[in-house]
Amino acid sequence: MGLIADKDRETIRAHFDESLSGDVEIVMFTERESPIIIPGKQPCEMCAQTEELLKEVASLSDKLKLTVNEISSAKEEAFAMGINRVPAFVFKGASRGRVRFFGIPSGYEFSALIADLVDVSNGTTDLTEETRKYLSALTEDVNIKVFTTPT
Amino acid sequence: MAVESEHVTADVIEAMEFPDLSRRYGVRGVPKIVINETTEFVGALPEAQYLAHLRAAVEANGKDTAE
Repeated sequence: MGLIADKDRETIRAHFDESLSGDVEIVMFTERESPIIIPGKQPCEMCAQTEELLKEVASLSDKLKLTVNEISSAKEEAFAMGINRVPAFVFKGASRGRVRFFGIPSGYEFSALIADLVDVSNGTTDLTEETRKYLSALTEDVNIKVFTTPT
Repeated sequence: MAVESEHVTADVIEAMEFPDLSRRYGVRGVPKIVINETTEFVGALPEAQYLAHLRAAVEANGKDTAE
């Protein structure tokens, strides 16, 4: 059994079939366990599990593709996307701006992950007309950080 | 919001995994939202209030650069 329960897997697959229109690439940055122990360096606790979870999610639709980068060998790409810690991932699709996740998307964040994949695939959101109008008229950069916990 | 504007970057951060960030941004409850390092609030707000915070953050930012 994977990280996603079988019945949830089928629900999500059906939801993706119905809701995804464009392709989305999930670009993940990770740090695989090194055979060399470096003093003072903490291993990435959630990297392997995050990768496994994203693999399972990506397998639920042909429109989703997962690319996994070892951060130490993809520094330039990580820097360009503003990723400086792991596990982290961004979506490439029909989104105008950038959506980044830092840490494992479990609990509430898992629903956010599924909803965001749909929005990025379609390039649209359920936001009100007023909000969308305001956002499309923005001329300066805005960063929004949302801190969450798994429960 | 990031889907709708090329100017928006949205970060979803797992607070327990990154205690340094949680400390830096004083996260005591979740969801905690920080806009442009200046405007912050806790809790899932209705969209209109969320937008009001966003407007305030963007306006405050504009003021800073003008000064």
